[in-house]
Amino acid sequence: MAERLRSSRTAALVAVLLLRRMALLVVLLVMTFLAVEILPADAARATLGFEASPAELAARRRQLGLDQPVAVRFLHWMRGLATGDLGVSARGRQVWDIVGQPFQNTLVLGALALVLTVLAALALGSLAVLRPGKLLDRGVRSLSTMILTLPEFVVANGLIVVFALGLHLLPSVTVTSSSGKPASPAMLVLPILALAMRQIGWNTRIVRSALAEQLPAPHVDSAIMDGLPRHRILIHYMLPGALPTIAAGVATSVGMVLGGVVAVETIFNFPGIGAVLVEAIRNRDAPLVAAVVALTGLVITVVLMASDLVRAWAVGRKP
Amino acid sequence: MTMSRRHLLHAGATAGAALFLSACGNGGGSTSGATAVGTPRPGGTLTIGALGRASAITRDPHGVQVNESDYLILSLLYDTLTIPGSSSIVAPRLATRWEPSADLRRWRFELAEGARFHDGTPLTSDDVVWSMRRLRESSIGVSRLPGIDVQGITSDGPRVVIVESNYPNSAIPVLMRLTTFVIKNGTTDPAGSPGTGPFRLEWFSNGNARLVRNDNWYGGRALLDAIEVRLFESPQAMANAALSGEIGLASNVGTVAARVAEGRDGVKIVRRKNDTALMVVMRAADGPYADPRVREAFRLAVDRQTMVRQVLSGYGSVGNDILGTADPAYARDLPQRRQDVARAGALLDEARFDRSVSHQILTTEDVPGLAESATLFAQQMQSVGVKIQVVKQESSTFLGQSRGKAPLYTTYWGTNDSVIFCAGKLLLSDSQFNEAAWHDPAFDNAYRSALSTADPERSIQLMRDLQKIEYDGSGYLLWGMAEGMDIAKNTVQGLPQLPGYGRVQLEHTWLSA
Repeated sequence: MAERLRSSRTAALVAVLLLRRMALLVVLLVMTFLAVEILPADAARATLGFEASPAELAARRRQLGLDQPVAVRFLHWMRGLATGDLGVSARGRQVWDIVGQPFQNTLVLGALALVLTVLAALALGSLAVLRPGKLLDRGVRSLSTMILTLPEFVVANGLIVVFALGLHLLPSVTVTSSSGKPASPAMLVLPILALAMRQIGWNTRIVRSALAEQLPAPHVDSAIMDGLPRHRILIHYMLPGALPTIAAGVATSVGMVLGGVVAVETIFNFPGIGAVLVEAIRNRDAPLVAAVVALTGLVITVVLMASDLVRAWAVGRKP
Repeated sequence: MTMSRRHLLHAGATAGAALFLSACGNGGGSTSGATAVGTPRPGGTLTIGALGRASAITRDPHGVQVNESDYLILSLLYDTLTIPGSSSIVAPRLATRWEPSADLRRWRFELAEGARFHDGTPLTSDDVVWSMRRLRESSIGVSRLPGIDVQGITSDGPRVVIVESNYPNSAIPVLMRLTTFVIKNGTTDPAGSPGTGPFRLEWFSNGNARLVRNDNWYGGRALLDAIEVRLFESPQAMANAALSGEIGLASNVGTVAARVAEGRDGVKIVRRKNDTALMVVMRAADGPYADPRVREAFRLAVDRQTMVRQVLSGYGSVGNDILGTADPAYARDLPQRRQDVARAGALLDEARFDRSVSHQILTTEDVPGLAESATLFAQQMQSVGVKIQVVKQESSTFLGQSRGKAPLYTTYWGTNDSVIFCAGKLLLSDSQFNEAAWHDPAFDNAYRSALSTADPERSIQLMRDLQKIEYDGSGYLLWGMAEGMDIAKNTVQGLPQLPGYGRVQLEHTWLSA
């Protein structure tokens, strides 16, 4: 009985959390439309160019619905969104046709960068915390701080100079195959590294300090006293307690990875969503910008939710 | 890059076959471009990088193509009536000869024998008329075919197309070089529909494409087996791809990226002269630059050599304030303007130009060097005591708010092989791209006279007059011509060397061993 009550309360909590995040997303979309609206120049001029005559511009404005108030356009777009229709771009193409494949490409790139981040951060953070104050610990700590200060474009260009132009080991750019995906897996390596590097720096520091906080805990202390192997202490006694902090750190990285994607995709010519966003803003293409915001917002929402759940779970089972 | 950012006017390109030369009634010669190594041989696949944006992809041959990658693909698939030539402005393509009526209003274009669509259907004048009418009715049709109404495009039998202009126009064949891409009569979905061009489409994906040779092309067989086009968002990424060998040709990569490739093993730089005109626009209708003496003073205050050296890394030549520098009729006899600070100062004094306040120059980063040119210009103007503040705007803001409106700004122009074309587009009083709002009835008269004159000798004199007026008074300070820069693998031969969109005709390009 009590068990069922607890699970229904959890479900209600999740629903409220979900609703709140969805509401936030809608607010974000409203702001997106408004932001595009207040930018100087409009989609008709931006897409027809300097060549267009006033009559041609007026016709295009009517066609794009730009003669209507922004609120009307937003509601119209939202109504479509509810049925999964992302609308039509300022250049007259279905928005899903523009964002679909690039979004998948970016998701693959981002997910792999994140997996690498988590694995590397856990490994480095654990190695460091097991030898507090030793050379390895100090090395990891200063290296992660240094990497953290390097912007993605610096890392990306450095990787290209060394691995592509210098050693000729990896391709410097991504070229697209007939399927719309990168032509070979090797083309993903440098973009993933460029995206993950900074996040590894950031998360290594979080993992190390979250684990270090667990060291004085009585159950860890007694496990050490009992002479258990280091890796067992780490995995079974320290990691569960550190997990909420680590999950929050990784969740933050999702947003930062998606932010870094714009620069990294441009440098590596990666066919992803970042490039679409840049041009959409340039074109004052509100439906396209909003679609990118909605999709990335959805991903971040899901990840934040997952991170909240991991934290709730970890706190619940804390000894 | 800014590209697609590039709103350059499109022009076709070079490389005409002997077949054309012999059949050519009006136009003139064309060449196969670059210095070839050995004997051209067929075969191989060339991967070409071209600039573009995924969200700006346009597959409609009659749409607004801002992506160079899209334009390249379309030019390989579809033919225009005419293309630019190297020894004359216009060379034949789908139209093999043309002749005007005595009053230069009615033009008769004869179509190439044996032209067929990629699916085998023979091309007829109906297809051409339908395509040109479709272009005329497109969102920017009035700009693409000025002075031509839909009803003015008709056929006269299966092999002849008639184009009627609302006024005498000797430059109609020049207009036909633009985007008169021919698709099949009644095509409902133009994306990927069969064309008559030297290559046919194998696949297209998000701005990237693979095209294979059209063995039945009426202009003779192209040398390459296939061309793969790869879309690049940034010139830097494209240059890296060329340097690391992932593409064989980085098309129109820009002066900055080309500089990086200079002297690297395995690649060469192709320099195409007179590619992009870089100008400062001084609004002539009103405001501080309405006095012609002020505009003259500004033209004399700049040090053009230094501008070319610093802004274009030396990949360019100085301008002389006349547009259309690659035109055979370009007035080379007009004295080259050079920096003359004393004379410029005197003119500013005479015109009582206010040198106590700071003036603004608006700029953007649409093409490499544009924003830098504004900064250097502002520095140089200090030599005559004029304070200029550089205001850099984002590309669309600049396009919507400043271009054609601001008193002083930077601009650029991508079709530079025709004085008369530039005059009609940019300098005529009632042209909608009259960027400098310059109104000179004498110029307008000279323009109309030049357009309505069929006699070649009289035409040369009229063109000279027109350029003199432009040189003396227009709102432009054309300080330099940037070269078009491509990076190519050493094995890529026979590349086109014409400026602007002259780079897209690749049927004579081949790969050496």
